[in-house]
Amino acid sequence: MQFPGYCREDGGFGVRNHVLVVSSVSCGNGVVEAIGRALPEVVTVTHAYGCGYGPDDLAASRRVLSGLMNNPNVGAALVIGLGCEALKAESLAGSVRGKPAPALEIQKEGGSAATTARGVAIAAGLLQRLKAQERVPAPVSGLVVGLECGGSDALSGVTANPAVGAAADRFVAEGATVILGETTEMIGTAHILKRRCATPQLGEQVERLVNGCESQVRATLGPLAGMVITPGNIEGGLSSIAEKSLGCITKAGTTPIVEVVDYACRPSKSGLVIMDTPGYDIDSMAGFAAGGAQLIIFTTGRGSIAGFPAVPVVKVASNSRTYENMPGDMDVNAGSIIEEDRTIDDVGGEVFDLSLRVASGERTCAEINRCAPFGYLKQGPTF
Amino acid sequence: MKSNALRIDSRDNVVIATQPIGKGEAVVVNGDAVCHTVEDIALGHKVALAPIPSGDAVFRYGEPIVQATRDIGRGEWVHVHNTQPVPGDLRE
Repeated sequence: MQFPGYCREDGGFGVRNHVLVVSSVSCGNGVVEAIGRALPEVVTVTHAYGCGYGPDDLAASRRVLSGLMNNPNVGAALVIGLGCEALKAESLAGSVRGKPAPALEIQKEGGSAATTARGVAIAAGLLQRLKAQERVPAPVSGLVVGLECGGSDALSGVTANPAVGAAADRFVAEGATVILGETTEMIGTAHILKRRCATPQLGEQVERLVNGCESQVRATLGPLAGMVITPGNIEGGLSSIAEKSLGCITKAGTTPIVEVVDYACRPSKSGLVIMDTPGYDIDSMAGFAAGGAQLIIFTTGRGSIAGFPAVPVVKVASNSRTYENMPGDMDVNAGSIIEEDRTIDDVGGEVFDLSLRVASGERTCAEINRCAPFGYLKQGPTF
Repeated sequence: MKSNALRIDSRDNVVIATQPIGKGEAVVVNGDAVCHTVEDIALGHKVALAPIPSGDAVFRYGEPIVQATRDIGRGEWVHVHNTQPVPGDLRE
């Protein structure tokens, strides 16, 4: 099975051909935003980090920003730094492979206005160059699809997540990779996930990951651990934490788990992969995008509208009320399983078909709305 | 018949009400009546497809989610009043 995609030098395929303008440190945000105002076609990425923290967070910053620039959806990148930050713009740009990735430092260029002017010229040139690149036949097996849930309600585990699970199974059947994250939402299912792993070693790895996460939640939140580790909505019908978490992991489908990767690391296998990401949607999606996901499928009950820079996010509403209430933000109505008596496989097929159309160029609601909040996991202290 | 409940996996011994189901009404999954309720079932809640003896697992998503703390009859509401988390599910 194929889709029309953008060929990359490393043999990968993008579903988009973006020029990404990214700051290496928050001080560069103003220039990045100014370039974005002058050239609305670029994708701007600004954030609150880049300096003032320890080696672990620095390494995570580098992995996320570098991973995002190396994502197959990015055709070219421009890094804007200040000059005195810990995460140097040139070093970050140097980690990008197989595509143009110049860097500008505001202190070297002669200030923000000069950097903006030079950045606009460079980015305009990159846009021009990428316009000439056409889509070519690409294998669906080259797709990496991140699976996310946010703003879940009592129906998320009834309609949207099982439907996305059906779509995930179809992607895996075509040889693609699907990524399940949000480790906090696996708590209570360690023994179940262990059984679903392709090898005993993977099983032990997953069990350690989930149990470790549970310990960390208890240690960090103490008596408030119940906020994270609860059956969820007892009034809504959930009887145990296992049931609640199963309702989340069901979006990953039924195929065996073939790999476990750290936050923001690239999967190396086809099939269902677990990535250690937090439950917080924005940080979780950053992990997927940095890991090379070209597409994210995101279920929501209450109505999360977040997309992600450079990566199309397909929104699947769990209920018709949210879908009808927020018509410009939801792509698929899984509530139709209830209202229109459709099957889980029906809606799963709709999600799969739409995802392929999105891969081929059709824009998601979040892309049209330019709703792409950016942030990523930072765990250590700030100095 | 219009469905009023959903079954996720063929191993499941409960189905989920996709709208409130009144006492004595038919539980309809994929257009077929699978049983009748013996009590009201609220939207999103579970109803037993077959008897679940005390101590047996309740399956949803093809996995054990809780175990029965007493004998549960066909058509009964299944929730925290007649089940408990499977011992050993959580690290504590």
